[in-house]
Amino acid sequence: MRRLPRWWPTALFFAVLTSMPLWITDGYVLQLIFRVVIFAVLGMAWNFIGGYAGQLSLGHVAYFGIGAYAMTLSTERIGWNPWLGVILGAVLAAIAALVIGSITFRLRGPYFALSTIAAAEIIRVLVQNQDELTHGAVGTNAPLLFQAPNLDAKFFWGAVPLLGAAFALSTWIHSSRFGYRLRAIRENENTAMAVGVNPAREKLLALLPSAAFTALAGSMYASYFSFVGPDTVLTLEISVQAALIAMLGGAATIWGPILGSIVLTLTSEIFKTYFEHTHLVVYGALLIVVVIFLPGGVISLFMRRSQFRRQAGPIGSVQG
Amino acid sequence: MAFVQAFLNGLLVGGVYALIASGMALIFGVMRLVNFAHGAFLMLGTYLSYYGWVLLGLNPYFGFPLWGAVLFAFALGVYWLLVRRVMGANDFLQILLTEGISLALIGLAQLLFGADYRQINLPVANRITGFGSLHFSVGYILSFAVSLLLVIALTQFLGRTEMGRAIRAVAQNRTVAPLMGIRVERVSAITFGLGIACAGIAGALLLPIFWTNPTVGGPYTLKSFVIVVLGGMGSVQGAALGGLVLGVAEQFTAYTWADRYAEVVNFIIFLLVLLFRPQGLFGGKA
Repeated sequence: MRRLPRWWPTALFFAVLTSMPLWITDGYVLQLIFRVVIFAVLGMAWNFIGGYAGQLSLGHVAYFGIGAYAMTLSTERIGWNPWLGVILGAVLAAIAALVIGSITFRLRGPYFALSTIAAAEIIRVLVQNQDELTHGAVGTNAPLLFQAPNLDAKFFWGAVPLLGAAFALSTWIHSSRFGYRLRAIRENENTAMAVGVNPAREKLLALLPSAAFTALAGSMYASYFSFVGPDTVLTLEISVQAALIAMLGGAATIWGPILGSIVLTLTSEIFKTYFEHTHLVVYGALLIVVVIFLPGGVISLFMRRSQFRRQAGPIGSVQG
Repeated sequence: MAFVQAFLNGLLVGGVYALIASGMALIFGVMRLVNFAHGAFLMLGTYLSYYGWVLLGLNPYFGFPLWGAVLFAFALGVYWLLVRRVMGANDFLQILLTEGISLALIGLAQLLFGADYRQINLPVANRITGFGSLHFSVGYILSFAVSLLLVIALTQFLGRTEMGRAIRAVAQNRTVAPLMGIRVERVSAITFGLGIACAGIAGALLLPIFWTNPTVGGPYTLKSFVIVVLGGMGSVQGAALGGLVLGVAEQFTAYTWADRYAEVVNFIIFLLVLLFRPQGLFGGKA
C-alpha cells in the first residue's frame, strides 16, 4: 500500500474542523469549539516567542486587549467597519510589541517576565482610567463582526482561517532557519550570539507576528462575546492562559497549542458544571502538573522520546 | 501640611510593604526563586485573621504570630511537595510553577470562602489620632509598628543566629555551602517558610485597615517585585527601605496627580530601575 502523504493529518484536521458547524447544531458545543480555536490561536501566537525563543512573556494580554479595544473603539468612535478595526488592532499590537519588546528584551529571565507583566499592567490602568475614550473600568459593548442568523457558525468559520494562518506560520517557523535561530536563543543566548545570531533582532521579529495574532484572537473573542472591559480582555489571567495552553500541549511544537487548548477548555468546562468558581483551581493545578510531571506537554506522551527531543526539547531540560 | 500628611501616610503603608517585600527578597536571595504566589499567601493570611476574629474573637494584632506560624507550616508543606522539584530548574519553570500555585490558592479560596469582599470592624483600628493638623488612623500606626518590628527581628535573626548564618551562606553560594556542612534543602525549606510567613502576617495586619477577597493578593505580588527590584534583588534591608520608598511614592502620586495612577507610577519606576539601575537604588555595584 502506498503511504499517505505527510500533510494528510493536517488536511484531515482542517477539513473536519471546517465542517463542524454543518453537523453540530448545538449552540453550546459550537461556542465551546469556537473557544478552543481562538485559544489555540492565542497559544500558537505565544509559542512563537515563549516556546521557540524561550522568552516567558506574561504580558500577552496587552496585545489581546489592544486588538479588542481597537476594533471596538474604531467602530464606535470613528464609525469604521469592524473588520477594518480588526486589522487596525493587529497593526497597533505590532507597533506596541515593537515598543514593549525593545524595552523588555534588554532584560533576561525573571526580569523579562516581570517587565512584560508591568507593561501589560500599565496599559490596563491607562485603559481603565481614560473613561472618556475607553468607557473605563465598566467596559462597553463590542461590535459584531457577523450578522445573525447562525452567528455561532459564522464566527466559527471566521476563526478557522485565523487558526490556519497561525498554523502555517508555526509550520514555517518550526523548520526554518529563523526557527533554529530562535531555539538557539532559547538554549543559550550567549552561545547564540557567539555563532552570529542577533538575539535582540530575532526576538523582536518573533514578537511582531505573535502580537498581531494575539490581537486578532482578541478582537474575534471580544466580538463573539460582544463585550470589552479591562477585567475581561486585559487581565493577567489571559496572559497566563496563553502560556499555559502552549506549555500544556507542548511548547515549541506545531500541534502543541491546539492540543493544549482542547485539554484546557474541556477540563475547565467539565469542572465548571460541578462548581461555580473552579476555573482558577483548574488552571493552577494544570500548570503545576505540567511543570512538575510533563514539562514537554501532552504531546510528549504521543512522541517517541528521541523524536520529541529532536523536534522540540522540553524547555526545562536544558540549562539545568 | 497636606504634603507632610501624604509623606507620613506613605511611610505607614510602606511599613507593611516592607514586611511583604522582605519575605520575597529573602526567598529570592536564598533560593533564586521568584515567588509569583507571594500575594496568594498574603491573601491566606488575611482570611486566617478574618476567621480568627469572626469565629474565635482573636484580635489580629494579637493573633498574627499564630497566623504566621500556620502559614510557615503550610509553606513547608508546599515546599516539600512542589517547590523542591523545581529548585535548580530554569526560571521559566519556576515562574510557571509558582504562578500555578498562586492560581490554585486563589481558586481554592473562591471555592471555600466565596468571592465576596470581607471586612472586620476593629474599634481600636478605626480610631483616629493626631497632632496639630495631622491625622492618622490607629490601625495604620499599629500595622506599621508591628511590620517594622518584624522586619528588624528578621534581619537580627539572619545576622545573629546560627540558622541565619546558614541561610546567608546558602544565599552567597549554593555550591560551597553544603561543603561547610549546611543542609541546603532544609535551609531552603525554612527560608521559604519564613518568606511566606512574612507575607501572611502582613496580610493579617492589613485586614483591620483594609478588606479582603480571594484576589486581594495580586497587586501585592507585583508591588513586592517592584520593591525587591528597588532594593536590589535579594537584599532584605534593601527591600525594607524599598517598601517605605514605594509607599511614599504611591501616596505622593495620589496626592499630586490622581489616586488611580499610583499603580502606573509603580510600574514605570520598576521598568526604569530595571533598565538603568538593575542593582537597585541602594545597592553597590551590580
